[in-house]
Amino acid sequence: MDILVLIKQVPGTNKVEVDEKTGVLKRDGVDSKMNPYDLYALETALRIKQNKGGKISVLSMGPPQAESIIKEAYMMGADDGALLSDRKFAGADVLATSYTLSQGIKKIGKADLIICGKQTTDGDTAQVGPEIAEFLGIPHVANVRKIIEIKEKSIVVEMDMPETVEIVDIKFPCLITVEKDIFQPRLPSYKKKLETKDREIKVFSLKDFDDKNEKKYGLNGSPTQVERIFPPSVNNDKEIWQGNSDELTEKLYKKLKDLKFIQ
Amino acid sequence: MAHLKVNQEKITDKEQLIKICPFGAIEEINGKIEIGAACKMCRLCVKKGPAGAIEYVEEDIPQIDKNKWKGICVYVDHVEGNIHPVTFELIGKARELASKINHPVYAVFIGENIKDKAEEILHYGVDEVFLYDNKELVDFRIEPYTACFEDFINKIKPSIILVGATTVGRSLAPRVAARFRTGLTADCTVLDVKENTDLVQIRPAFGGNIMAQINTPNTRPQLATVRYKVMSAPQRNDEKSGKITLMDIEKEKLNSNIEVISVTKKEKEVSISDAEVIIACGRGVKSQKDFEMIKELCDLIGAQIAVTRPLIEAGWADAKRQIGLSGRTVKPKLIITCGISGAVQFTAGMRGSDCIIAINKDEKAPIFNVAHYGIVGDLYEVLPRLIEKIKVSKGA
Amino acid sequence: MNYKVIDNNDIEILKSICPDRVYTGEEISEDFSHDELGGVKRMPDVLVEVLSTEEVSKIMKYAFENNIPVVARGSGTGLVGSSVPLHGGIMINLTKMNRILELDEENLTLTVEPGVLLMEIGKFVEEHDLFYPPDPGEKSATIGGNINTNAGGMRAVKYGVTRDYVRGLEVVLPNGEILNVGGKVVKNSSGYSIKDLICGSEGTLGIVTKAILKLLPLPKKAVSLLVPFPNLNKAIGTVPKIIKSKSIPTAIEFMEREVILSAEEFLGKKFPDNSADAYLLLTFDGNSTQEVEAAYEKVANICLEEGALDVYISDTDERKESIWSARGAFLEAIKASTTEMDECDVVVPRNKVAEFVEYTHKLQEEFNIRIRSFGHAGDGNLHIYVLKDDLTEDVWKKKLNDVFDCMYKKSRELNGLVSGEHGIGFAKKPYLFEQYSEEYITLMKNIKLAFDPKNILNPGKVCQ
Repeated sequence: MDILVLIKQVPGTNKVEVDEKTGVLKRDGVDSKMNPYDLYALETALRIKQNKGGKISVLSMGPPQAESIIKEAYMMGADDGALLSDRKFAGADVLATSYTLSQGIKKIGKADLIICGKQTTDGDTAQVGPEIAEFLGIPHVANVRKIIEIKEKSIVVEMDMPETVEIVDIKFPCLITVEKDIFQPRLPSYKKKLETKDREIKVFSLKDFDDKNEKKYGLNGSPTQVERIFPPSVNNDKEIWQGNSDELTEKLYKKLKDLKFIQ
Repeated sequence: MAHLKVNQEKITDKEQLIKICPFGAIEEINGKIEIGAACKMCRLCVKKGPAGAIEYVEEDIPQIDKNKWKGICVYVDHVEGNIHPVTFELIGKARELASKINHPVYAVFIGENIKDKAEEILHYGVDEVFLYDNKELVDFRIEPYTACFEDFINKIKPSIILVGATTVGRSLAPRVAARFRTGLTADCTVLDVKENTDLVQIRPAFGGNIMAQINTPNTRPQLATVRYKVMSAPQRNDEKSGKITLMDIEKEKLNSNIEVISVTKKEKEVSISDAEVIIACGRGVKSQKDFEMIKELCDLIGAQIAVTRPLIEAGWADAKRQIGLSGRTVKPKLIITCGISGAVQFTAGMRGSDCIIAINKDEKAPIFNVAHYGIVGDLYEVLPRLIEKIKVSKGA
Repeated sequence: MNYKVIDNNDIEILKSICPDRVYTGEEISEDFSHDELGGVKRMPDVLVEVLSTEEVSKIMKYAFENNIPVVARGSGTGLVGSSVPLHGGIMINLTKMNRILELDEENLTLTVEPGVLLMEIGKFVEEHDLFYPPDPGEKSATIGGNINTNAGGMRAVKYGVTRDYVRGLEVVLPNGEILNVGGKVVKNSSGYSIKDLICGSEGTLGIVTKAILKLLPLPKKAVSLLVPFPNLNKAIGTVPKIIKSKSIPTAIEFMEREVILSAEEFLGKKFPDNSADAYLLLTFDGNSTQEVEAAYEKVANICLEEGALDVYISDTDERKESIWSARGAFLEAIKASTTEMDECDVVVPRNKVAEFVEYTHKLQEEFNIRIRSFGHAGDGNLHIYVLKDDLTEDVWKKKLNDVFDCMYKKSRELNGLVSGEHGIGFAKKPYLFEQYSEEYITLMKNIKLAFDPKNILNPGKVCQ
């Protein structure tokens, strides 16, 4: 069985601030890492492989430096990896990113099962997975918190809903996005680092794709635009309430209602 | 459309220019400055770099006719016909936006045997509920639900679609957006609308460290998801208004490769590390009986109970419910601490909470240094009254 | 010893020194009668919260003149009963003297009051790209407490212990006089080092009211390695070879599977790996990824040669968190798994760690009692916990005593010492007396007498 895991390189820390005067993003260092949520996706793939065998490929989109996370995936046990890198992909929003990745998936050959993390730590939209499934015309299930069974032609998974848990059987090829904590991700192995030192990482750019229409990629293919960025307002409230118990209760009740903790 | 053009001759200091990019996308290649694949098009280099060095070039592209798209639509989120309250919150928002641009408010309701439930929506001031009622739609499955949504958009052409950021919404909205090759902004916290019907969408990014204002200038419909409890629900009107329209869709569009095997109620037990609301008890809670009272309050507001170490030692709670440096770290939206003095061992495990309400008799208790709202009072007086009030308001 | 019993007049005088910050009877929380694990309890007669050196000095002067015993206390996170007021009297609570007074970036020193918490120091200096290396597990301890136990922590392998980072102290002597020792100077050969005597004196020689700490530039990168081994012997046996390689990790910890499982259960969170019987956890720091990689690769190769099953790399915040949160919860997790426990904190030469731990395994069987351990393989400091479980009080006391006797005896055989970082306080006195010669103890007693001729400051501790 062929499993594909989509991974992304994200900043090493979320400590970004906006300089209020200049509107400039302040970010310390240029450290980056694999999106922590993708580790759960990769771990899920590795566990499935442990039980059922198969091949695990990873695919990422990003600048050439993003090769480092593919190497890291090799160190965790992935068999094969590719990077989609082209400056024409720059400035992509959710739609353009999803389209680019779906083209990349077509390029490397269809997988039976595509696994994505729940979301990324830099964009945290949790939408790229479902959009890719749409572009590939395959079904998807989001918020998977348990793999129940791998069958010949389908996978049975448990899906986390707000009030309920749904068990669904989904036919291959399909895409799932997995919850944090579905499995505890393993750490990269130094032994595997030595073994995979020379393993190839394929790099594809727009010219390798079936659809070479530049208008569908990067900024040009992005229907949304960021108009401005600004620092969030923080809860600096510091109130001390004194009084008799009825007054205090009233205040507490009102506050809980204002904050929507009581309907 | 648009791209960044580099005018090499206008660059004064290459190093300086490279540093401006927060994403490390400006590179020097063979002595020339180039913009690489890491570019996020934030255009800081245009604003902050030497004048004219990097230019934002807008190309002429055919503009769509926004007048062809009319109406603000809310997706009715539900499980087995039980409407999720985020739906009403979004209807409230949709009405507010619609009044600014004089558009109708729609709801699209997809499921099986939901006609009666649709009547309820008419109490919240929508103009029209579009109903897809079909036995293939009994459970949420992505392909048939997307097909219905597609059918609705093609027939009605709404300008704006609001979807609750629930498990279903987060699955369905991107699927629909991709099908129409349009924009979708997730987890918006503020929504507004411009005169030209462009939706102003504000959402947190980078784990909430910055806010971004996003718009969808040249595609329709515009999609946004909003989390539960971000917008305020409108009052329910006694009178109904608007109408229900039953929609037809071809059976073959409702095929699915997904089979729902079972739907079960989730067991309530949630780990305190994942809880959104926590009530934490300390030594100020005197007996196990009082502990039961606090559990009652937990049930009423959907909170998890947590404790400090003395209560673990007393055997009232499991060690898994201990907050602190040596216990678990929690980061809920709300934590109410009851009778906790606030030693660092405890506060280190919870000071990242969004809202901290502390109840303690001793006004000098250090917990008040970390609390957003400090109640100097007796929890034995305040909590029973609060429980009573909540019960009354719930109509129990 | 005959001390004056506290009366109302004393209270009034204390109140005139520290208005509104004097507590008696019911007003004193039960917490102040004990520390974390001492097994010894006594309430102070009066608790005074101080805000300045002058207040401490005035209280000591009064106590000295009136022969009242005094105990100083910080967060109360000690493990040997050092801050328990065995003779009642006055307890001075220093936790409100918690200001960071000065960061001197030209001399790389930080001047603090004793009540500043270890975690606050770490956070504050890191914001200035600086580093205070001592890293005891208990981050909510006060720096005053750390200085008084000469706390060690995990980074001792590379960076040393608290004493190595104390440049100068302001101390209130038992008679109330204020003494400054050391300073911002780097070198100091000016007579006996009183400063080094105060460090580790467990509040028996003077009360630290100000400390000048030495800082280092903050290493920019850190990577941890989690190294699984088929058994504990192989794991710990590798440590001397790592040290010999001269690629010095900041920390070398060992841990066994049972303790990891307890922590998983306690935190409700999985450890990244729990398949092996024993692990080493190593940390490397440095200023660039390349530097850190070069250092750890050398050690990783040694581990593989010595029979490690693999070497796992932890290089991101999430990965470090998944390991270190478990490591940080070991003590609580073991505690949660039993009814009562006691701890032995011996330190042995680094090449004897394996032998010692192996010995505790034997004791576990011999005495049929649960013994758990984890600790600092890199500096020879062991934390061995003997667990009561379902034993009756009598059996427990007897077995504990016997097991402890065996362990301290073994430690002496291996040229180890009674305490690596927790101190002697009250609980470990018998073992100290057994280890040291009469001359040694007499010398310590005389030092105590030189500082405190009336024996009013934390009497009954360490060498008494």
